[in-house]
Amino acid sequence: MKVSNKSNRWLTAALLAPTSVWFVLMLILPLIVILVFSFGERAAVGGYAGGFTLEQYANLPSRLKAFQNTMTIAPAGTLLSLLVAYPLAYYLALRVDRKYKLILLVLVIVPFWTSLLVRTYAWIFILGGRGIPSLLELIGIEGVRLINTPGAVLVGIVYGYLPLMVFPIFVSLEKLDKSLLEASSDLGGSPLKTFMQITIPLSMPGVATGCMLVFILLMGEFLIPAFLGGGKVFFIGNALVDLFLQSRNWPFGAAVSVTLVVIMLITVSLYMRMTLRSNTGRDESLM
Amino acid sequence: MSKSNDGNKPISATKFMQELRRYQKGSVSRRHFLGVTGLGTAMAVMGTAVPSLWSGKAQAFGDLGDRLIFSTWPNYHDQANLDEFTAMTGVNIQVNAFGSNEEMLAKLQAGGTGWDVFVPTNYTISNYVALDLIQELDLSRLPNYDGAANNAKFAGPATVNGKVYCVPKNWGTTGFIFNSKKIKSGPKSWKDFFDVTMGAGSGHTIVHDYQLTTIGGALCALGYSFNSIDAKELAEAEALLVKSKPHLFAITSDYQPGMRSGDAWMSICWNGDGTQLKNDIPEMDYVIATDGGEIWSDFYAIPKDAPHLDAAYAFINFMQDPYIQAREAAVHGYAPTDSRAIALQPDSLGSDPILHPAADLMNGLEFGAAQTLTDPIRAEVMARFKSA
Repeated sequence: MKVSNKSNRWLTAALLAPTSVWFVLMLILPLIVILVFSFGERAAVGGYAGGFTLEQYANLPSRLKAFQNTMTIAPAGTLLSLLVAYPLAYYLALRVDRKYKLILLVLVIVPFWTSLLVRTYAWIFILGGRGIPSLLELIGIEGVRLINTPGAVLVGIVYGYLPLMVFPIFVSLEKLDKSLLEASSDLGGSPLKTFMQITIPLSMPGVATGCMLVFILLMGEFLIPAFLGGGKVFFIGNALVDLFLQSRNWPFGAAVSVTLVVIMLITVSLYMRMTLRSNTGRDESLM
Repeated sequence: MSKSNDGNKPISATKFMQELRRYQKGSVSRRHFLGVTGLGTAMAVMGTAVPSLWSGKAQAFGDLGDRLIFSTWPNYHDQANLDEFTAMTGVNIQVNAFGSNEEMLAKLQAGGTGWDVFVPTNYTISNYVALDLIQELDLSRLPNYDGAANNAKFAGPATVNGKVYCVPKNWGTTGFIFNSKKIKSGPKSWKDFFDVTMGAGSGHTIVHDYQLTTIGGALCALGYSFNSIDAKELAEAEALLVKSKPHLFAITSDYQPGMRSGDAWMSICWNGDGTQLKNDIPEMDYVIATDGGEIWSDFYAIPKDAPHLDAAYAFINFMQDPYIQAREAAVHGYAPTDSRAIALQPDSLGSDPILHPAADLMNGLEFGAAQTLTDPIRAEVMARFKSA
């Protein structure tokens, strides 16, 4: 008994080894490098020059606007994606004819076959002066500016992140026990009441997962604001790209990264605690 | 952006290839081939390398590998020329387009770029040499390059401590462009540029996502040097930029789409983009500002750790051919530094005021300085302006 326990332990260790090595090399070590850099100084022509200073953290308020933009547009984009994705997922999971289901699901994924860069670039032309605004001019609405506004960035976000929101919700709606819906209506529940009290609560794990996926990725987003915000809707991701690729201030960039990671850890753990609490009593796991 | 070749250039890429194939097949004599393609003059320069050059791909170029990674600027080449190099040598060119010299420097500093050839601007070269990021060129491997034919004013920065690290590509100016149908006041200076931005043209101006030109323009508007690294002057420039930010259409170095769609009416502009825009939209006017601005030259250089060195030399040599240079210029709209190539430009381009402006217009222009690029205050001013 004892021996087999021991060999089990070896087996477990062996099986976990590749993941652990990967985890340490690709996640822990880089994070340590970033942490160390964040206390350093910028070299004369850019880069990292060692040293120990808190100067980089003291300079954080100069990027306040970027943090504010990210902290408002990322949640707004997540919420908007949810509002657009839920009806779509609902339709795909519960309403659509079985034989079309697969093809419709594939259609949701198809945009992923092309680079986000190319698809976002296309939106520059759709939202630019010769796109939607010129159509609006035809019906007499003039002087509409869409491109390089927070609204344009939100459109880009919803477009780019929709599949990430649709699929988790689709999965939880798909495995929803249909007999519960019948039971509700048998017992006199109106369709609205059934939806509010059965469908929505049972799809919450999918909603929670989708929101988390989209929100976490949005916090680091830089491509969509750069293209559709014209450099005027500035995310913390853009500040980071700038610090590493333009001003080459690696230590300050590292300090901003560390701050972002801390903000994410706090937000995500609060969020998980909230959703876990509201999910207690159900056996569905969050992810 | 590649445009089709036509009209008044020495020879089109297609025609060149047809002639080359005819010659390779033996349908025409070598003399005919050299005459038609205009390579005759180039041959004189290429010297002994030539006889073997046209006797078949493999022999002529040796084994150059099948790949070349080339980092350059947007809208800066005629795709036909790159394709021609690939057809002649079997080397496929992977082009990376960059938005700023800082970005190139950052990538090279980080290491492992895999680049074989890149296109630095005059003020970066001494930095690259100091950081040991580029290699000294073996000019004997670049028979098409003729140092004497290049204007020393533009070619000068290629030589650091007596060693040649790169060969010149083009030169140009940094001014601004405006749409004269939308902006009637005819801005002439950087001061006008910012006045119009915050006045009649509010919401329709683009500044570069590049500290050198954007801060430089603001400094000139305030009456300071384009290259200033004085903390007080930079603080004033930052204040001007931040004040104008709500009136900007965008902060981007990719300004042609905005100007072409009509969303933007005015933009900081490199003169080649000015030519490209003017060719397609006549109401676009390129301005060399009366209160200063930049004059620059670009180069071909090879990074220290270039993986395909032979292909890199072959490519630079190919691009130094005066005819190729002239054909490039006809598409990208920047002036060659090489007098052999200028002589081959059609009259319409040789006297073009955007490509070859009158000398007195350029009196106030400055070459960017090495420390302008790397100054930490300028970098931080730009970053703060963008996140303001």
